[in-house]
Amino acid sequence: MTAVIEALGVTKNYGATRALDDVTFSVEAGRIVGLIGPNGAGKTTALKAILGLTPFSGELRVLGLDPRTARDALMREVCFIADVAVLPRWLRVTQALDFVAGVHPRFDRAVAENFLKKTDIRMASRVRELSKGMVTQLHLALVLAIDARLLVLDEPTLGLDLLYRRNFYDTLLNDYFDKQRTILLTTHQVEEVENLFTDVIFINHGRVALRAAVEDLGSRYQQLTLAAEQAEHARVLQPFYEREVFGRVAMYFEGRSAAELGAFGELRTPSIADLFVAKMQGTGRP
Amino acid sequence: MNTTFADNAPDSPRTDAAPAAKRPGEVLLTLVRRELWEHRALWLAPLVVAALLAVVAAIGRAHIQMDNAPDLSSESQRVALFSIIQVVFAVPLYIVILFVAGFYLLDCLYAERKDRSILFWKSLPVSDGLTVCSKLLVGLVVAPFGVFALALLAHLILSAILGARVALGSLPPVITWNSYEWLRTEAVMLLATLFAVLWYAPIAGYLLLVSAWVRRAPILWATLPFVLGPVLEWVAFGTRYLLNFIDYRLGGIWAILGVERLRILSKHGPQLSVGTALEMFDFRGALTSIDLWLGLAATAALVYAATRIRRYRDDT
Repeated sequence: MTAVIEALGVTKNYGATRALDDVTFSVEAGRIVGLIGPNGAGKTTALKAILGLTPFSGELRVLGLDPRTARDALMREVCFIADVAVLPRWLRVTQALDFVAGVHPRFDRAVAENFLKKTDIRMASRVRELSKGMVTQLHLALVLAIDARLLVLDEPTLGLDLLYRRNFYDTLLNDYFDKQRTILLTTHQVEEVENLFTDVIFINHGRVALRAAVEDLGSRYQQLTLAAEQAEHARVLQPFYEREVFGRVAMYFEGRSAAELGAFGELRTPSIADLFVAKMQGTGRP
Repeated sequence: MNTTFADNAPDSPRTDAAPAAKRPGEVLLTLVRRELWEHRALWLAPLVVAALLAVVAAIGRAHIQMDNAPDLSSESQRVALFSIIQVVFAVPLYIVILFVAGFYLLDCLYAERKDRSILFWKSLPVSDGLTVCSKLLVGLVVAPFGVFALALLAHLILSAILGARVALGSLPPVITWNSYEWLRTEAVMLLATLFAVLWYAPIAGYLLLVSAWVRRAPILWATLPFVLGPVLEWVAFGTRYLLNFIDYRLGGIWAILGVERLRILSKHGPQLSVGTALEMFDFRGALTSIDLWLGLAATAALVYAATRIRRYRDDT
């Protein structure tokens, strides 16, 4: 497997603020990677570096190219949806299709038109006349019709209602994703998309806090739910985070076995959302 | 829990049949169309003015005071008037496009950052250089030469309207059509447009740079240096070098071509046809003027700077 993205010591400062601090990770082809972090953690900055939209220091290869110097060649293979605000309001739907068809060698207009037929979007409409959800659908139609190898999505469903969000991700999986393509996605709504991901990267204060394939999470992280009075005994095994709900305590461990923990209570693999909260808030060691 | 939907994804092999890149000509054409979609004033405003001129030609009334009447006794003076009217019809169109294209160049790289659509344009495989060049092309070639073509067409229509009115007797037959002079006048206007474009190109480059650079109020930033600069120079040194320079960059090309040598109008009315500029103008002197070429070099530098700023600026 060749790496689609390889980042080695990527660092980016905005004035005195360090947005990315020595970030190292790699993404392989055919993966759906969630880049997850609190606001201001550096997610968007990382995406901008990958897309060649911002200067940075360190090593970064995207599809074997340096985004700082080979941006134009890179954008033939990479698609990017920033958020719903970026389609210009004056643009007509037909003009959007004409434009992408005129500049993109890998755009298949029929695919975009077929997708748009299934929506309520009229071809003569301007973007300013469309609802927020429809603008996202239009952008998705353009992206689906581009035969790209890497799709980068930055909070693509921000501000959309549940139906639009669900449709967006279903379309992405059914009509777009295959084992040759890679999707890199940032989102706040982790619960909703967590069974989409094959890999997660947690990022906090510009640093990579966790980097794992979802199938490995079970062997690395354990969530133990137990009665409050049992908690003192389990704490010896050094959970990195715990929280109390209705008199039950949930403890999160790294690298413990079922044999060690099973006796204290109910053991399971934490969800990505739970693990995210535990990792972000439990930075203080036990 | 640990199996995801993605594991069931099909393993469709990529087809690499698509070409690696579009031809630059096709991309540039698409980029120019895009500019005309967004900035409709570029073609709407001249069209509206041309339509207004047609209305004036159709219903306007000419009052000629006999004692102030121009001397039109000779055929050459009638031909001269014919060519002057041809230019006068074009002037409003050129004035309109001057303003529209100026505001366009100042707005185009600023607006895409303001509405964040730059992130969409940048998500497509179009280089910053080609994008900025397409905007320069619209401002310096498509707009001025488009207006030249529109003025030509409008003049033909207006001539037909005026000719019909003369035939119907509602206008005096003071103008005679002269195809040879018509062609010569068009040639003068085409060459004047060309030299204006070459001479004013650095202003276009400057507007693009300001447009790519400012965070707000592009009009203010574009004009401020030209107002404050000369004032500060005069206050500090009592000299007017900047003012003279600005004055030269605004009107210099016409002095180099030798506009003052033309004898088109005299006190008594039209004298020589506009076409005589073809013999009078110093085209060789204008083309070999070092200032013209310095201006073009400055344009290249300004456009390059605008491209670099668009490429590396990160304020969305």
